[in-house]
Amino acid sequence: MGRYIVRRLVWVVFVLLVITFISYMIFFVMPSKDPAIIFAGRQPTPELVAEVRHQFGLDHAWPVQYALFVKRIFLGDQYGWPGLGFSFNTRSALKPIILSRLLVTIQLALGAAVVWLLIGIPIGILSALKPRSVFDRVAMGFALFGVSAPVFFIGPLFLYIFWFKLGVAPGSGYYSIGQYGLGTWFSHFIMPWIVLALLFAAFYARMTRANLIETMGQDYIRTARAKGLSERRVVLKHGLRASLTPVVTMFGLDLGGLLGGAFITETVFNIPGIGAYAIKSVGSGDLYAILDITIIAGFFITFMNLVVDVLYAFLDPRVRYA
Amino acid sequence: MNFKRTARLFAVVGVLAIVATACGGDEGGGASPTGGAVAKGGTYRTAIEDFGFTNAFDPTGEYLGTAWGLYSDLILRNLVTYKHIDGVPGDEIVPDIAESWETSADGLTWTFHLKSGVQFGPPLSRDVTSADIAYAFQRINTKSLIAQYGNYYAGVIEGLTGDAKSPSTPISGISTPDASTIVFTLTKPTGDLLYRFAMPATAPVPEEVGKCFTKAGDYGRFVISSGPYMIKGQDALDTSSCDAMEPFSGYDPDKFMVFVRNPNYDAATDSPDVRSANLDGVVITIDTNTDDIFNRIQSGELDGSWASLPPKTLEQQYLTNPDLTDNFHINGGDRTWYITMNLLVPPFDDVHVRKAVNFVIDKVALQKVWGGPPHGEIATMPEPPEVLPETAQLDPYPSPNHEGDVAAAQDEMKQSKYDSDGDGQCDADVCNNVLLVNRNSTPHVDMSPILSENLAQIGINVKIRELDTGTAYTTIQTADNLIGIASNAGWGKDYADPYGFDFFIFHSAGIACSGQVNYSELGMSRAQAAECGPKVLAAWNAATDNGKTPLPSVDKKMDECYTLTGDERSNCWVELDTFLMEEAVPWVPYLWATVFTVTGDSVTHWEFDQFSGALSWAHIAVNNGIDPNSVPVG
Repeated sequence: MGRYIVRRLVWVVFVLLVITFISYMIFFVMPSKDPAIIFAGRQPTPELVAEVRHQFGLDHAWPVQYALFVKRIFLGDQYGWPGLGFSFNTRSALKPIILSRLLVTIQLALGAAVVWLLIGIPIGILSALKPRSVFDRVAMGFALFGVSAPVFFIGPLFLYIFWFKLGVAPGSGYYSIGQYGLGTWFSHFIMPWIVLALLFAAFYARMTRANLIETMGQDYIRTARAKGLSERRVVLKHGLRASLTPVVTMFGLDLGGLLGGAFITETVFNIPGIGAYAIKSVGSGDLYAILDITIIAGFFITFMNLVVDVLYAFLDPRVRYA
Repeated sequence: MNFKRTARLFAVVGVLAIVATACGGDEGGGASPTGGAVAKGGTYRTAIEDFGFTNAFDPTGEYLGTAWGLYSDLILRNLVTYKHIDGVPGDEIVPDIAESWETSADGLTWTFHLKSGVQFGPPLSRDVTSADIAYAFQRINTKSLIAQYGNYYAGVIEGLTGDAKSPSTPISGISTPDASTIVFTLTKPTGDLLYRFAMPATAPVPEEVGKCFTKAGDYGRFVISSGPYMIKGQDALDTSSCDAMEPFSGYDPDKFMVFVRNPNYDAATDSPDVRSANLDGVVITIDTNTDDIFNRIQSGELDGSWASLPPKTLEQQYLTNPDLTDNFHINGGDRTWYITMNLLVPPFDDVHVRKAVNFVIDKVALQKVWGGPPHGEIATMPEPPEVLPETAQLDPYPSPNHEGDVAAAQDEMKQSKYDSDGDGQCDADVCNNVLLVNRNSTPHVDMSPILSENLAQIGINVKIRELDTGTAYTTIQTADNLIGIASNAGWGKDYADPYGFDFFIFHSAGIACSGQVNYSELGMSRAQAAECGPKVLAAWNAATDNGKTPLPSVDKKMDECYTLTGDERSNCWVELDTFLMEEAVPWVPYLWATVFTVTGDSVTHWEFDQFSGALSWAHIAVNNGIDPNSVPVG
């Protein structure tokens, strides 16, 4: 098992290097314009361009520039570790901005993940156990609605109904636990969590249902029943475990993607996460911020892949010997 | 007030009345909706999608109008300033830190005497002196600080070139004989100097703090107040060393700005006509969702908008519901939207074609796609009415109801070299597939079919390229792209003298190979063309018959207007603008834009600041009784 994890870790490092390399090429080598001018923001004066050139070592050959770039990211820069650079638009070090926003995105993503797992998997199980029943039809109707309703539609709709019209939920914005207490923090996150979770819950319900129905038709399930195991044990121990492995894969990728920024949800609910920051940075042409977010998003997807691989190895021993 | 001044006032009042009538609503500003006395206290809470500062809020280089409002209304005082009210009266210069001033007979020496008792906020808590004002100019003179409108001072004040290596370098044309006197020596008489001295970059900067920030934008989180408010947390600044200074807690460029009262502000040194300072504070937060901002205003969570455009559905509500009209404010934005034509690019190198385009455009249709009269009055001249009221009624290319005059346009086209058979239609190849640059967002995209159809009536068949706002600007700002016609651009004043509107956009100094704003290349010289490469030079040679017929230029006339003052100055600008539209014809101006502001019921006194083109922080009042320190900012 240890060797397997080490092998996966080496692979993750390699993938991260590939991500940084591709990002570097896109931002520094491919543009036809001098990258120093592009990174200097809206007012690229010669002095500012010179400052950028010096900071990025752009007077070196590009392989050296790339090596310096990777070194800054992994070993840190003058603003600390990890080396996330400087925004020439806001004249601010990016590390504190991005880390504080990342923390907000993590709260949003993890909260939503809990909600969608709590909704999606039980619905999927119950639907699979009673296929074509009224519950199944209603549940799959809900799933169809969840899959079809985009966040940019359902988010403002929820805000309008539950905050603006009914006044039963607080409005948009982020209120930290430390500053405003658990109650305020929680109440402001409920709607974003639910809205974000709806889409995923619908997918998870459908996927769990389909997998479980298929699993429950397998020979070994029939054998388990023939051995006189209780239905509860058959379903939970034998059926669910096998049917959840693809769900674990999906969960890892979904969570990894969300940690890289829930762009629309954060924008709609005015949550200062990394996704909203990405949109703001694209709008204001803050390229170093965009570069950082690209790499961070890549990192999370890679990292969550690693977590999924390890979990898989636990769930299915065949994987670790493959 | 002399006759000319009165005429200016009436002209603008007329224009505003038309806008107000059209939208069925608003006011020129100033009246309290409640009709009662304005109560002090409370906090104006607002939100915006993004601050959008161009220089990280460092006043030396910050070039965003809404930022200028924050400086001038709230935290910075200048030698002279504005009353921070609506319309032409809001563009009049009044004393601020300066008690009085005198000018030498030749107009080259200006001496200002400062009021006593104007203080910086804590922890500095000392009098503002002439040295602090001189230091602000030294910052403008420092190359690394990128004073984005430094051209209004470079070459104007003796020794101020914009090339200094350090802000500690003195300027030969500025002397401070004592702490309350500052003397400026100019290189040439400058008729609008007071307007330039009302700009935020010239507001006093204490050297003991300013010296720590020598890169553009860095001072933006440390702006020391000399006005009635300060950024929250300024008083906690550790000034023992540069390394000890931490950004003020009340400004996170990414999330919020909080202004609280400056305890050292002495209202006796100011005028209530200039700053009523009714509020206890201002809280501006970032809200990425525009709909949410306006919902929060309606729910009472916010007191009003600042610079966000309300969603269409909400705008209609405010325009049509009589109960809401008091909460909806429409004011002149001192901005002109226009179509620009490049004098180097056929067929627009022929003045008759440019005139024909002016005749044929259906400006009413364009106004409609913008949202009708509330969004702006139809423009007939480049200058917005508040900037040059004398030209507001001129219309060199009249048409019935501004819907375009096809016959007059075709008559012009007949006189052009591109209509060989005299049928009023351009029949040259250069009139086919003419590239027209536009934005890819509303309302611009909705203008595309109108422009296409209008121009086809004189034989110009356009191929429209719709680009995002930034790319569209970059495309026409790059000289060797040689874009013939573009409808993406708008232009606003820097200050309320026509020079502050016209200089960059029409003077040949506004031409550059990249980043230019004189998109039509008006007055481009051979040297400028050559600098931008062989393609531009070839186009210039073709357009000028190898220099025999130079491109029309307003440079000389602008230089003439530059030194004048009073009515002579206004008349000079009228002549210049008339020449622009009748002989040079680089533009089709089509809309003088308005600014919308929505306020909640807590606002007891509304005012608009014509200088910044946004609500007047200096005079607005609320009755919410909220302490700015208690407002959650996330």
